[in-house]
Amino acid sequence: MLSAAMRYAILLAIAVYFILLVVLLKQKRLTLRYTLLWLFCGAVLLLLSLFPQLLGLVTSLLGFQVESNALFAILFFFVLLILMSLTSIISKQNEAIKRLTQHAALLEKRLRDLEAK
Amino acid sequence: MKTLIIIPAYNEQDNILNTLADIRMNCPDMDYVVINDCSRDDTERLLRENGERFVSLPCNLGIGGGVQTGYKYAREHGYDIAIQFDGDGQHEAKYLHDLVAPIASGRADIAIGSRFIRKEGFQSTGLRRAGIGFLSRLIRLICGVRVLDVTSGMRAVNRRFIEQYAREYAQDYPEPEAIVAAALKGARIEEVPVQMRERQGGSSSINPLRSVYYMIKVSLALILARFTS
Repeated sequence: MLSAAMRYAILLAIAVYFILLVVLLKQKRLTLRYTLLWLFCGAVLLLLSLFPQLLGLVTSLLGFQVESNALFAILFFFVLLILMSLTSIISKQNEAIKRLTQHAALLEKRLRDLEAK
Repeated sequence: MKTLIIIPAYNEQDNILNTLADIRMNCPDMDYVVINDCSRDDTERLLRENGERFVSLPCNLGIGGGVQTGYKYAREHGYDIAIQFDGDGQHEAKYLHDLVAPIASGRADIAIGSRFIRKEGFQSTGLRRAGIGFLSRLIRLICGVRVLDVTSGMRAVNRRFIEQYAREYAQDYPEPEAIVAAALKGARIEEVPVQMRERQGGSSSINPLRSVYYMIKVSLALILARFTS
């Protein structure tokens, strides 16, 4: 079992995490569609720390020796997921920026042609 | 046939005007447009002052994004044939009529100017040739097309592939990838013997450290292209 101190620490961290998330959302510095993964990770963490039996179950199912290791592994997996989604978002934006750049350049050329007439 | 020469240029103040003069002299029947990929030198000023036809990208997109802009321009203006032609002085305009011949006659969809058919002119360094040979074999394995000079930036394509490339074109180091993408779409690809020169001025975008990255990146991209098409 996780020690009580560790559980409280995790609960506190999750509280800070959610407050930050809500504040950023309220200030519109996060778009909701990119926040879903963050919300989901927070929810899973919250569940695990509220119900330590759950973490115990996961630990024995996955064959970890110590619960904190299972927790780290789960956390790390989520971090990877979030990183991958970030890369995907960057790629999409990269494509959008490329299109806009090309479009702007072609329009500027057309404008120059029109002005020359 | 309405033919457009696309000349991607990034920091080519030393070469660009010579390149254009060469084209005007040898291919007066073709139009050309320079794609200035956000050069930081005087390329744009030179083009403007000489009244050249150019498109100027507001952000640097790299060779792939630049060339694709040219294809979009060709599509927008209804060209039948588009030619890619380097602005750094490596390519010579006197070969362009040979290059478009297979396309004008309808025999091929894409023609690639190749240094390695007659093995004349600047042949590049041994190591680089080995790399090109490897990519050439890889492309043959992936899509069954035999191209020797897979990194050649001197190409001509017909209407169908102007539209294809305007829609989709690989980003960095796009030449080999563009061959595979087209071959997987059923392009008839032909190589035309040409000679190339060593670049005349400025500096090449490829250095030794980047070559390793280049080979890995391009090989991966080619294999992925096979699986994602």
